[in-house]
Amino acid sequence: MALYVTAKTLDGQVFYTNEKIYMPIPQQLGRGQKMGRGPYEKSGLIHDSALPPRKTTKESFMIPVYTESEEHGKTIRTQIAQDFTVNVEIWYLPYGKKDDPGNAQKWFAVTKNMHLPADQK
Amino acid sequence: MKKICKQTLAALCLLGPFLLGTGQAEEQKPRTIAELVAKYDSSSCVDCHMNEYEQWHKSLHARSIFGPLEVGRTAATFITTIENGLKEWPYSGVNDPEDVGVKHLMVCAKCHLPQLQDAEDSVAKEIVQNLYAFAEDPYDEEIRDTLLSLNINCLVCHNRNAITHKWTDGYPDPKTVYGSKSGAHEDPLYPTMQESKIMGESILCGQCHGLGPNFELDNPTQCATLYGSHLFAYIPDGGTQTCQECHMRRSGLGHDMQAYRSPEMVKMALDIDVEANAFQWRDVNTMTPVANVLVEITNKAGHAIPDG
Repeated sequence: MALYVTAKTLDGQVFYTNEKIYMPIPQQLGRGQKMGRGPYEKSGLIHDSALPPRKTTKESFMIPVYTESEEHGKTIRTQIAQDFTVNVEIWYLPYGKKDDPGNAQKWFAVTKNMHLPADQK
Repeated sequence: MKKICKQTLAALCLLGPFLLGTGQAEEQKPRTIAELVAKYDSSSCVDCHMNEYEQWHKSLHARSIFGPLEVGRTAATFITTIENGLKEWPYSGVNDPEDVGVKHLMVCAKCHLPQLQDAEDSVAKEIVQNLYAFAEDPYDEEIRDTLLSLNINCLVCHNRNAITHKWTDGYPDPKTVYGSKSGAHEDPLYPTMQESKIMGESILCGQCHGLGPNFELDNPTQCATLYGSHLFAYIPDGGTQTCQECHMRRSGLGHDMQAYRSPEMVKMALDIDVEANAFQWRDVNTMTPVANVLVEITNKAGHAIPDG
Protein backbone atom coordinates (compact mmCIF):
# COMPACT_ATOMS: atom_id res chain seq x y z
CA MET A 1 0.00 0.00 0.00
CA ALA A 2 1.36 3.42 -0.87
CA LEU A 3 0.52 7.01 0.00
CA TYR A 4 1.43 9.56 -2.66
CA VAL A 5 1.56 13.32 -2.17
CA THR A 6 1.98 15.52 -5.22
CA ALA A 7 1.98 19.31 -5.47
CA LYS A 8 1.31 20.98 -8.81
CA THR A 9 1.01 24.48 -10.15
CA LEU A 10 -2.33 25.38 -11.65
CA ASP A 11 -0.96 24.69 -15.12
CA GLY A 12 -0.05 21.13 -14.08
CA GLN A 13 3.67 21.47 -13.38
CA VAL A 14 4.69 19.05 -10.63
CA PHE A 15 7.04 20.64 -8.12
CA TYR A 16 6.85 18.14 -5.26
CA THR A 17 6.29 14.42 -4.90
CA ASN A 18 6.66 12.13 -1.94
CA GLU A 19 5.48 8.68 -1.01
CA LYS A 20 5.18 6.36 1.95
CA ILE A 21 5.11 2.59 1.60
CA TYR A 22 3.12 0.41 3.97
CA MET A 23 3.92 -3.29 3.77
CA PRO A 24 5.39 -6.20 5.60
CA ILE A 25 8.82 -7.07 4.25
CA PRO A 26 8.99 -10.86 4.30
CA GLN A 27 12.23 -12.60 4.98
CA GLN A 28 13.62 -14.78 2.20
CA LEU A 29 13.43 -18.42 3.27
CA GLY A 30 13.47 -17.48 6.95
CA ARG A 31 17.09 -16.34 7.02
CA GLY A 32 19.21 -13.23 6.67
CA GLN A 33 18.30 -9.67 5.76
CA LYS A 34 17.03 -10.17 2.23
CA MET A 35 13.40 -9.85 1.26
CA GLY A 36 11.59 -12.77 -0.28
CA ARG A 37 9.08 -11.74 -2.91
CA GLY A 38 7.22 -14.78 -4.16
CA PRO A 39 5.07 -16.66 -1.65
CA TYR A 40 7.24 -19.73 -2.23
CA GLU A 41 10.29 -17.98 -0.79
CA LYS A 42 8.65 -15.86 1.91
CA SER A 43 9.02 -17.02 5.51
CA GLY A 44 9.12 -14.61 8.41
CA LEU A 45 9.44 -10.84 8.43
CA ILE A 46 12.45 -8.54 8.52
CA HIS A 47 10.48 -5.31 8.76
CA ASP A 48 6.85 -4.30 8.81
CA SER A 49 5.43 -0.90 7.96
CA ALA A 50 1.88 -2.16 7.33
CA LEU A 51 -0.93 -0.27 9.02
CA PRO A 52 -1.62 -2.00 12.33
CA PRO A 53 -5.25 -2.75 13.21
CA ARG A 54 -7.18 -0.32 15.40
CA LYS A 55 -4.44 2.31 15.12
CA THR A 56 -4.18 5.69 13.44
CA THR A 57 -1.07 6.29 11.40
CA LYS A 58 -0.17 9.97 10.95
CA GLU A 59 2.04 11.33 8.20
CA SER A 60 3.20 14.90 7.80
CA PHE A 61 4.64 16.43 4.66
CA MET A 62 6.22 19.87 4.54
CA ILE A 63 6.18 20.99 0.91
CA PRO A 64 8.62 23.72 -0.09
CA VAL A 65 6.88 26.06 -2.51
CA TYR A 66 10.05 27.74 -3.71
CA THR A 67 13.21 27.20 -5.66
CA GLU A 68 16.62 28.32 -4.54
CA SER A 69 19.43 29.77 -6.59
CA GLU A 70 22.71 31.54 -5.95
CA GLU A 71 23.22 35.12 -7.05
CA HIS A 72 26.37 37.07 -6.12
CA GLY A 73 27.00 34.66 -3.28
CA LYS A 74 23.52 35.08 -1.91
CA THR A 75 20.78 32.50 -1.78
CA ILE A 76 17.73 33.70 -3.63
CA ARG A 77 14.40 32.08 -3.04
CA THR A 78 11.72 32.26 -5.67
CA GLN A 79 8.17 31.34 -4.80
CA ILE A 80 6.84 28.79 -7.29
CA ALA A 81 3.21 29.76 -7.16
CA GLN A 82 0.72 31.58 -5.04
CA ASP A 83 -2.04 29.16 -5.96
CA PHE A 84 -1.42 25.48 -6.42
CA THR A 85 -2.91 22.07 -5.66
CA VAL A 86 -1.90 19.24 -3.41
CA ASN A 87 -3.05 15.78 -4.43
CA VAL A 88 -3.10 12.89 -1.95
CA GLU A 89 -3.68 9.36 -3.16
CA ILE A 90 -3.65 5.96 -1.48
CA TRP A 91 -3.13 2.91 -3.65
CA TYR A 92 -3.20 -0.78 -2.91
CA LEU A 93 -0.46 -2.28 -5.04
CA PRO A 94 -0.32 -6.05 -4.58
CA TYR A 95 2.53 -6.31 -7.07
CA GLY A 96 4.17 -3.00 -6.27
CA LYS A 97 3.20 -0.93 -9.31
CA LYS A 98 0.34 1.32 -10.33
CA ASP A 99 0.41 0.22 -13.95
CA ASP A 100 -1.09 -3.15 -13.21
CA PRO A 101 -4.68 -3.37 -14.47
CA GLY A 102 -6.89 -5.72 -12.51
CA ASN A 103 -4.56 -5.75 -9.55
CA ALA A 104 -3.58 -2.19 -8.56
CA GLN A 105 -6.43 -0.37 -6.83
CA LYS A 106 -6.76 3.34 -6.17
CA TRP A 107 -8.38 3.48 -2.75
CA PHE A 108 -8.45 7.18 -2.06
CA ALA A 109 -7.78 10.46 -3.79
CA VAL A 110 -8.31 14.05 -2.77
CA THR A 111 -7.12 17.33 -4.22
CA LYS A 112 -6.70 20.36 -2.01
CA ASN A 113 -6.60 23.86 -3.50
CA MET A 114 -3.89 25.85 -1.78
CA HIS A 115 -3.28 29.59 -1.55
CA LEU A 116 -0.19 31.28 -0.19
CA PRO A 117 -0.16 34.82 1.10
CA ALA A 118 1.97 37.14 -1.00
CA ASP A 119 5.68 37.20 -0.21
CA GLN A 120 5.71 40.60 1.54
CA LYS A 121 8.66 41.37 3.73
CA MET B 1 -3.35 -69.11 12.68
CA LYS B 2 -2.05 -69.35 9.15
CA LYS B 3 -5.64 -69.49 7.90
CA ILE B 4 -6.63 -66.40 9.88
CA CYS B 5 -3.63 -64.48 8.55
CA LYS B 6 -4.52 -65.43 4.98
CA GLN B 7 -8.12 -64.29 5.51
CA THR B 8 -7.01 -61.05 7.11
CA LEU B 9 -4.55 -60.40 4.32
CA ALA B 10 -7.23 -61.06 1.71
CA ALA B 11 -9.58 -58.63 3.43
CA LEU B 12 -6.86 -56.01 3.69
CA CYS B 13 -6.06 -56.42 -0.01
CA LEU B 14 -9.70 -55.77 -0.86
CA LEU B 15 -10.18 -52.88 1.53
CA GLY B 16 -6.66 -51.47 1.35
CA PRO B 17 -7.27 -48.68 -1.14
CA PHE B 18 -10.31 -47.53 0.84
CA LEU B 19 -8.81 -47.34 4.31
CA LEU B 20 -7.65 -44.15 5.94
CA GLY B 21 -5.22 -43.96 8.78
CA THR B 22 -8.15 -43.07 11.03
CA GLY B 23 -9.89 -46.32 10.13
CA GLN B 24 -12.53 -44.48 8.13
CA ALA B 25 -13.57 -45.68 4.71
CA GLU B 26 -12.46 -43.44 1.87
CA GLU B 27 -13.23 -43.31 -1.79
CA GLN B 28 -10.38 -43.91 -4.19
CA LYS B 29 -8.29 -40.78 -4.68
CA PRO B 30 -9.10 -38.74 -7.78
CA ARG B 31 -6.66 -39.42 -10.60
CA THR B 32 -7.70 -36.64 -12.98
CA ILE B 33 -8.82 -33.03 -12.69
CA ALA B 34 -12.27 -34.15 -13.80
CA GLU B 35 -12.43 -36.71 -10.98
CA LEU B 36 -11.28 -34.17 -8.41
CA VAL B 37 -13.84 -31.66 -9.64
CA ALA B 38 -16.51 -34.37 -9.52
CA LYS B 39 -15.57 -35.32 -5.98
CA TYR B 40 -16.08 -31.73 -4.86
CA ASP B 41 -18.97 -31.03 -7.20
CA SER B 42 -21.15 -28.37 -5.59
CA SER B 43 -23.52 -27.93 -8.49
CA SER B 44 -26.44 -29.47 -6.61
CA CYS B 45 -26.16 -26.69 -3.99
CA VAL B 46 -27.22 -24.10 -6.57
CA ASP B 47 -30.79 -25.40 -6.75
CA CYS B 48 -31.61 -24.14 -3.27
CA HIS B 49 -28.79 -21.68 -2.54
CA MET B 50 -28.82 -19.57 -5.69
CA ASN B 51 -28.05 -16.28 -3.91
CA GLU B 52 -25.08 -17.73 -2.10
CA TYR B 53 -23.85 -19.33 -5.32
CA GLU B 54 -24.12 -16.08 -7.26
CA GLN B 55 -22.31 -14.22 -4.50
CA TRP B 56 -19.59 -16.86 -4.34
CA HIS B 57 -19.19 -16.84 -8.11
CA LYS B 58 -18.04 -13.20 -7.95
CA SER B 59 -15.42 -13.98 -5.34
CA LEU B 60 -11.80 -15.04 -5.76
CA HIS B 61 -12.73 -18.28 -4.00
CA ALA B 62 -14.44 -19.18 -7.29
CA ARG B 63 -11.16 -18.83 -9.17
CA SER B 64 -8.67 -19.71 -6.50
CA ILE B 65 -5.93 -21.15 -8.71
CA PHE B 66 -6.63 -18.79 -11.59
CA GLY B 67 -6.91 -15.42 -9.89
CA PRO B 68 -8.75 -12.35 -11.14
CA LEU B 69 -10.44 -13.08 -14.46
CA GLU B 70 -8.73 -10.26 -16.32
CA VAL B 71 -5.21 -11.28 -15.42
CA GLY B 72 -5.02 -14.85 -14.08
CA ARG B 73 -2.29 -13.72 -11.76
CA THR B 74 -2.58 -16.65 -9.37
CA ALA B 75 -2.02 -19.14 -12.19
CA ALA B 76 1.06 -17.17 -13.18
CA THR B 77 2.35 -17.33 -9.61
CA PHE B 78 1.97 -21.11 -9.56
CA ILE B 79 4.34 -21.21 -12.53
CA THR B 80 6.77 -18.80 -10.86
CA THR B 81 6.74 -21.11 -7.86
CA ILE B 82 7.75 -24.03 -10.06
CA GLU B 83 10.32 -22.14 -12.12
CA ASN B 84 11.94 -19.96 -9.46
CA GLY B 85 11.27 -22.16 -6.47
CA LEU B 86 10.85 -25.89 -6.97
CA LYS B 87 13.25 -26.17 -9.93
CA GLU B 88 15.90 -24.10 -8.17
CA TRP B 89 15.82 -25.92 -4.85
CA PRO B 90 18.34 -28.78 -4.98
CA TYR B 91 16.41 -31.17 -2.76
CA SER B 92 12.87 -30.59 -4.06
CA GLY B 93 13.10 -33.47 -6.54
CA VAL B 94 11.78 -31.19 -9.28
CA ASN B 95 13.99 -30.70 -12.31
CA ASP B 96 11.18 -30.22 -14.79
CA PRO B 97 7.52 -29.29 -14.47
CA GLU B 98 6.68 -32.94 -15.17
CA ASP B 99 8.27 -33.85 -11.83
CA VAL B 100 5.74 -31.81 -9.85
CA GLY B 101 3.50 -33.93 -7.63
CA VAL B 102 0.86 -33.16 -5.03
CA LYS B 103 3.39 -32.51 -2.26
CA HIS B 104 5.12 -29.90 -4.40
CA LEU B 105 1.98 -28.17 -5.51
CA MET B 106 0.69 -28.05 -1.94
CA VAL B 107 3.06 -25.14 -1.28
CA CYS B 108 0.38 -23.12 -3.08
CA ALA B 109 -2.54 -25.53 -2.99
CA LYS B 110 -2.64 -25.75 0.78
CA CYS B 111 -4.87 -22.70 0.51
CA HIS B 112 -5.58 -22.24 -3.18
CA LEU B 113 -6.84 -25.80 -3.65
CA PRO B 114 -6.73 -27.71 -0.35
CA GLN B 115 -8.66 -30.66 -1.78
CA LEU B 116 -5.63 -31.43 -3.96
CA GLN B 117 -4.22 -33.09 -0.84
CA ASP B 118 -6.82 -35.81 -1.40
CA ALA B 119 -5.77 -36.50 -5.01
CA GLU B 120 -3.17 -38.59 -6.81
CA ASP B 121 0.01 -37.04 -8.22
CA SER B 122 -1.49 -37.40 -11.71
CA VAL B 123 -3.91 -34.57 -10.84
CA ALA B 124 -1.04 -32.28 -9.84
CA LYS B 125 0.70 -33.09 -13.12
CA GLU B 126 -2.45 -32.36 -15.11
CA ILE B 127 -2.86 -29.04 -13.31
CA VAL B 128 0.75 -28.13 -14.09
CA GLN B 129 0.22 -29.00 -17.76
CA ASN B 130 -2.77 -26.71 -17.85
CA LEU B 131 -0.96 -23.90 -16.04
CA TYR B 132 1.85 -23.94 -18.60
CA ALA B 133 -0.61 -24.24 -21.46
CA PHE B 134 -2.44 -21.20 -20.10
CA ALA B 135 0.85 -19.28 -19.98
CA GLU B 136 1.41 -20.22 -23.64
CA ASP B 137 -2.08 -19.24 -24.70
CA PRO B 138 -4.02 -17.16 -22.17
CA TYR B 139 -6.99 -16.97 -24.54
CA ASP B 140 -7.59 -20.72 -24.77
CA GLU B 141 -11.08 -21.00 -23.29
CA GLU B 142 -10.83 -24.73 -22.63
CA ILE B 143 -7.68 -24.38 -20.54
CA ARG B 144 -9.09 -21.36 -18.76
CA ASP B 145 -12.28 -23.27 -17.94
CA THR B 146 -10.27 -26.24 -16.67
CA LEU B 147 -8.32 -24.03 -14.29
CA LEU B 148 -11.49 -22.23 -13.23
CA SER B 149 -13.15 -25.56 -12.45
CA LEU B 150 -10.72 -25.97 -9.57
CA ASN B 151 -11.70 -23.69 -6.74
CA ILE B 152 -12.71 -23.17 -3.14
CA ASN B 153 -16.35 -24.08 -3.48
CA CYS B 154 -19.24 -24.91 -1.11
CA LEU B 155 -17.85 -28.30 -0.12
CA VAL B 156 -14.41 -27.02 0.79
CA CYS B 157 -15.68 -24.71 3.53
CA HIS B 158 -18.93 -26.52 4.36
CA ASN B 159 -17.45 -29.99 4.43
CA ARG B 160 -13.73 -30.61 3.99
CA ASN B 161 -12.46 -27.67 6.06
CA ALA B 162 -15.53 -27.28 8.28
CA ILE B 163 -13.96 -29.11 11.20
CA THR B 164 -10.59 -28.04 12.54
CA HIS B 165 -10.64 -30.08 15.77
CA LYS B 166 -11.29 -33.55 14.44
CA TRP B 167 -10.48 -35.45 17.61
CA THR B 168 -13.06 -33.30 19.39
CA ASP B 169 -15.77 -32.95 16.76
CA GLY B 170 -15.09 -35.89 14.47
CA TYR B 171 -13.95 -36.06 10.88
CA PRO B 172 -16.06 -34.46 8.13
CA ASP B 173 -18.68 -36.90 6.93
CA PRO B 174 -18.75 -37.02 3.13
CA LYS B 175 -22.55 -37.00 3.08
CA THR B 176 -22.98 -34.04 5.45
CA VAL B 177 -22.85 -30.32 4.91
CA TYR B 178 -21.78 -28.23 7.87
CA GLY B 179 -23.40 -24.87 8.52
CA SER B 180 -25.54 -23.03 11.02
CA LYS B 181 -27.99 -25.79 11.93
CA SER B 182 -28.48 -29.54 12.16
CA GLY B 183 -31.11 -31.73 10.58
CA ALA B 184 -32.17 -33.26 7.31
CA HIS B 185 -30.87 -31.69 4.13
CA GLU B 186 -32.82 -31.88 0.89
CA ASP B 187 -30.00 -33.15 -1.26
CA PRO B 188 -29.63 -36.87 -1.97
CA LEU B 189 -25.86 -36.47 -2.20
CA TYR B 190 -25.66 -34.68 1.15
CA PRO B 191 -28.75 -35.77 3.08
CA THR B 192 -27.57 -34.45 6.43
CA MET B 193 -26.67 -31.03 7.70
CA GLN B 194 -24.85 -30.48 10.91
CA GLU B 195 -24.16 -27.37 12.89
CA SER B 196 -20.51 -26.47 12.54
CA LYS B 197 -18.80 -25.31 15.70
CA ILE B 198 -16.57 -22.95 13.74
CA MET B 199 -18.56 -21.81 10.69
CA GLY B 200 -18.92 -18.34 12.21
CA GLU B 201 -15.48 -18.27 13.81
CA SER B 202 -12.32 -16.68 12.49
CA ILE B 203 -10.44 -19.96 12.81
CA LEU B 204 -12.38 -21.32 9.84
CA CYS B 205 -10.84 -18.63 7.64
CA GLY B 206 -7.54 -18.81 9.50
CA GLN B 207 -6.90 -22.24 8.04
CA CYS B 208 -5.86 -20.46 4.86
CA HIS B 209 -5.62 -16.77 5.62
CA GLY B 210 -2.58 -17.52 7.55
CA LEU B 211 -0.38 -17.31 10.58
CA GLY B 212 2.92 -16.98 8.75
CA PRO B 213 5.28 -19.72 7.55
CA ASN B 214 3.46 -23.00 6.89
CA PHE B 215 5.73 -25.24 8.91
CA GLU B 216 3.96 -28.45 7.98
CA LEU B 217 5.48 -28.16 4.50
CA ASP B 218 8.95 -29.53 3.76
CA ASN B 219 9.83 -26.06 2.46
CA PRO B 220 7.61 -23.60 4.34
CA THR B 221 5.86 -20.94 2.31
CA GLN B 222 4.12 -17.77 3.44
CA CYS B 223 1.36 -16.09 1.59
CA ALA B 224 -1.24 -14.67 3.93
CA THR B 225 -0.48 -13.56 7.48
CA LEU B 226 -3.88 -12.07 8.22
CA TYR B 227 -4.99 -14.54 10.83
CA GLY B 228 -1.74 -14.03 12.73
CA SER B 229 -2.28 -10.29 12.72
CA HIS B 230 -5.89 -10.82 13.79
CA LEU B 231 -4.80 -13.01 16.71
CA PHE B 232 -1.72 -11.16 17.86
CA ALA B 233 -2.46 -7.50 17.07
CA TYR B 234 -6.20 -6.97 16.64
CA ILE B 235 -7.47 -9.13 19.50
CA PRO B 236 -4.90 -7.90 22.07
CA ASP B 237 -5.92 -4.32 21.24
CA GLY B 238 -9.53 -5.09 22.13
CA GLY B 239 -10.89 -6.11 18.72
CA THR B 240 -13.93 -8.34 18.88
CA GLN B 241 -15.12 -8.88 15.30
CA THR B 242 -14.71 -12.11 13.38
CA CYS B 243 -13.65 -12.38 9.74
CA GLN B 244 -17.20 -13.35 8.81
CA GLU B 245 -18.71 -10.40 10.67
CA CYS B 246 -16.91 -7.85 8.49
CA HIS B 247 -16.33 -9.70 5.22
CA MET B 248 -19.79 -11.31 4.99
CA ARG B 249 -22.36 -9.65 7.24
CA ARG B 250 -21.48 -5.98 7.74
CA SER B 251 -20.25 -5.63 4.18
CA GLY B 252 -23.47 -7.16 2.89
CA LEU B 253 -21.35 -9.21 0.50
CA GLY B 254 -22.30 -12.57 1.95
CA HIS B 255 -20.47 -15.34 0.14
CA ASP B 256 -18.84 -12.83 -2.18
CA MET B 257 -16.03 -12.51 0.33
CA GLN B 258 -13.87 -9.70 -0.90
CA ALA B 259 -10.84 -7.79 0.22
CA TYR B 260 -8.84 -5.01 -1.41
CA ARG B 261 -10.71 -5.03 -4.71
CA SER B 262 -14.01 -4.20 -3.05
CA PRO B 263 -15.06 -0.57 -2.47
CA GLU B 264 -17.31 -1.79 0.37
CA MET B 265 -14.38 -3.40 2.16
CA VAL B 266 -12.08 -0.42 1.61
CA LYS B 267 -14.71 1.90 3.06
CA MET B 268 -15.07 -0.34 6.09
CA ALA B 269 -11.33 -0.78 6.51
CA LEU B 270 -9.95 2.74 6.50
CA ASP B 271 -10.80 6.21 7.72
CA ILE B 272 -8.66 8.75 5.91
CA ASP B 273 -8.40 12.40 6.81
CA VAL B 274 -6.29 14.94 4.96
CA GLU B 275 -5.61 18.47 6.17
CA ALA B 276 -3.44 20.92 4.28
CA ASN B 277 -2.51 24.55 4.71
CA ALA B 278 -0.02 26.90 3.10
CA PHE B 279 1.88 29.64 4.85
CA GLN B 280 4.94 31.87 4.77
CA TRP B 281 7.42 30.76 7.36
CA ARG B 282 9.63 33.68 8.22
CA ASP B 283 13.14 33.57 9.62
CA VAL B 284 14.06 37.26 10.10
CA ASN B 285 14.03 38.45 6.49
CA THR B 286 13.96 35.08 4.81
CA MET B 287 10.50 33.99 3.76
CA THR B 288 9.87 30.29 3.32
CA PRO B 289 6.66 29.55 1.45
CA VAL B 290 5.53 26.06 2.38
CA ALA B 291 2.49 23.85 2.49
CA ASN B 292 1.99 21.42 5.31
CA VAL B 293 -0.03 18.29 4.60
CA LEU B 294 -1.23 16.01 7.37
CA VAL B 295 -2.63 12.59 6.51
CA GLU B 296 -4.27 10.40 9.12
CA ILE B 297 -5.14 6.83 8.21
CA THR B 298 -7.04 4.75 10.71
CA ASN B 299 -7.11 1.02 10.14
CA LYS B 300 -10.51 -0.24 11.26
CA ALA B 301 -9.98 -3.75 9.92
CA GLY B 302 -9.43 -6.81 12.06
CA HIS B 303 -5.87 -7.22 10.79
CA ALA B 304 -2.94 -5.25 9.44
CA ILE B 305 -3.18 -3.72 5.97
CA PRO B 306 -1.62 -5.06 3.92
CA ASP B 307 -0.49 -8.51 5.03
CA GLY B 308 1.94 -10.88 3.44
